[in-house]
Amino acid sequence: MSVTFQVADDNKSATIKLNDRFDFSLHSDFRNAYKDVTLLNGEYLVDLSGTDYLDSSALGMLLLLKEHADAQLSSVRLVGFNDEVREILNIASFDKLFQMG
Amino acid sequence: MSDLLGHCRTILVVDDEQTNRLLLRNLLERDGYNVIEVENGEQAIDAVNTLHIDLVLLDILMPVMDGYTAAAIIKQQVKHFIPIIFLTAKTDEASLAKCIEAGGDDFLLKPFNYQLLTSKLRSMLRIVSLYQNIEEKNKSIHQHNLQMMQEMNVTKKIFEKVSKNDMRGPHTGLKYSMSPKSMFNGDVIMAEKNQTSGLDVLIGDFTGHGLSAAIGAIPVADVFHTMTRKCFLFTDVLAEANDKLIDLLPTQMFMASVMLSVDRSNNILSVVNAGLPDVYLYRDNEIIRTFKSRNIPLGISKMSSSQFEVEMQPLQYGDCLYVSTDGVMEAKNRQGEMFGLDRLLTMFSENIPAEELFESILSRCAEFSDGAEQTDDITLLELCHQSHVSYPQSVEFSNEVREASNWSLQFNLDIKSLRQFDALPYIMQAVNNLQPLESGRTRLHTILTEMFANALDHGLLKLDSSMKNSPQGYMAFYQEKQRRLEQTDDGSINISLEHTLQDDGLGGRLTLTVMDSGEGYDYRALDLGNDNAYSGRGLKLVSSLCSEMKILGKGNVITALYDWQADQT
Repeated sequence: MSVTFQVADDNKSATIKLNDRFDFSLHSDFRNAYKDVTLLNGEYLVDLSGTDYLDSSALGMLLLLKEHADAQLSSVRLVGFNDEVREILNIASFDKLFQMG
Repeated sequence: MSDLLGHCRTILVVDDEQTNRLLLRNLLERDGYNVIEVENGEQAIDAVNTLHIDLVLLDILMPVMDGYTAAAIIKQQVKHFIPIIFLTAKTDEASLAKCIEAGGDDFLLKPFNYQLLTSKLRSMLRIVSLYQNIEEKNKSIHQHNLQMMQEMNVTKKIFEKVSKNDMRGPHTGLKYSMSPKSMFNGDVIMAEKNQTSGLDVLIGDFTGHGLSAAIGAIPVADVFHTMTRKCFLFTDVLAEANDKLIDLLPTQMFMASVMLSVDRSNNILSVVNAGLPDVYLYRDNEIIRTFKSRNIPLGISKMSSSQFEVEMQPLQYGDCLYVSTDGVMEAKNRQGEMFGLDRLLTMFSENIPAEELFESILSRCAEFSDGAEQTDDITLLELCHQSHVSYPQSVEFSNEVREASNWSLQFNLDIKSLRQFDALPYIMQAVNNLQPLESGRTRLHTILTEMFANALDHGLLKLDSSMKNSPQGYMAFYQEKQRRLEQTDDGSINISLEHTLQDDGLGGRLTLTVMDSGEGYDYRALDLGNDNAYSGRGLKLVSSLCSEMKILGKGNVITALYDWQADQT
């Protein structure tokens, strides 16, 4: 499974970890990971340390997660990305939409 | 025995000996099969070509045509799968192998073992069912495909109607390449003449593929063309397109885009890069500036027109701009390797003259991928700033002939309105609706724009236009203008337009008056013949475009007379 998901004991944060390519093939895995999770005033961490590529549909999936988080007054933080992935996130100005690092 | 759909299976028995045929018919009919008998290979071929046969039991040695020959012909002629089971008395390996080589699917030894016969038939017919199932699915996929192609064609036609102006050509300086399927990969390019006779160009790359991406392009094209023609600023156009996309698109979809706007009056380029790869400005065979993405792609979060990060750059004739979607960098060769940024940048450093660069990049990219299938689309655009431009006649405003009439309009804008609202497009629209001046439209717009800019920049905000004499100063001028606009507490501009018919009814005179609440200046000292005179450039242009221009009051009122004749159109 290339998407793993873990909710912290205090129910304040949840970590989604991705491996390899983050692209359209992970669409349902990614969505299923968080769709039943509710964190009030919490933080979703997306761990991209295992990701070496993400495409525009991955950016779209991150926007969906943000929408999910926004509805719960929670935030989304992207962590662990390498330089190439950071470049892709920068081009899309995602640093203006997400917490980074 | 019947198939999945409950149809009775039909078995063709081919044997020259009647006793064998009779025996098989008895066995098979007992199991519920339909049986058709023929006596030789030739009759067998006729039967499979004219009747619905599910399986063939084929003897080998027969007069007229033997089983081997018949099997080979049947397998060649019949497109769907009909299993052939050879009936043979020969048990040597060579003969059995020959059965399979001739196209047989199995063999059955004489004399027949009933158990073996029925189980072989069942197993073969199961395979037939599988084949038929796949065929059905293929057919329905094919149908779906056809339907989708039709839908795409319809969408494409709608899209072509929305973006009717193709501005490409040697006289416009615009070149771009998109492969035929690119529209359905979500790449769009639209271009329109702006109020300075330069081009505004919007390049977009939607997330996702197929129809959904194309659908998003339609409202954007509509907004872009309509608003640009109505002389709205490109940032207003972006803000509106962004709003539309937020309303229309699902959360995960957005449009990475670049807006280019060339101001030909001042030779200034403005670039808004929202999520596309770097935009390059090429001068004297090298990149002199790179415009990186500094904005969130369109369709994600609400933006007002002033929130877009706009980068400005003075242009020289011969400068060329290059914009690509990620398709260029991600073009793959047969080994799966990407063309990449480095290969692209190398091309910019090879001293290739600007006239050849566009074609060179495309051909280098094609050479590289060498026929490998492209995953994304290769969209590349070049916009060159040339000393002379002419645009194809566009079907901008309706040619509806309106009867000339007498009318007047007045606008009073206080400092708050001036801060948050660009009134000119609305005024121009009103004028166009009252009195469409086909050929005078651009001219009139320039007159009004310059008069308004003069009142705002110099009358109200007291900016020094000599700042604009150097390229760096031009940008500083705009920043300072923005700052003063925010900080000024009061002031107003009054614009009035009055149209009166000529006595013969074949023409008219439009009187434009712009008055600002500033303290004015000593206009008598102004020398309109000197290009560098204080606020001279704009007003000089106005006076050259209209019949008469007067500076009145304490220098805070300007009146221009614009005369038109019916034969202008």
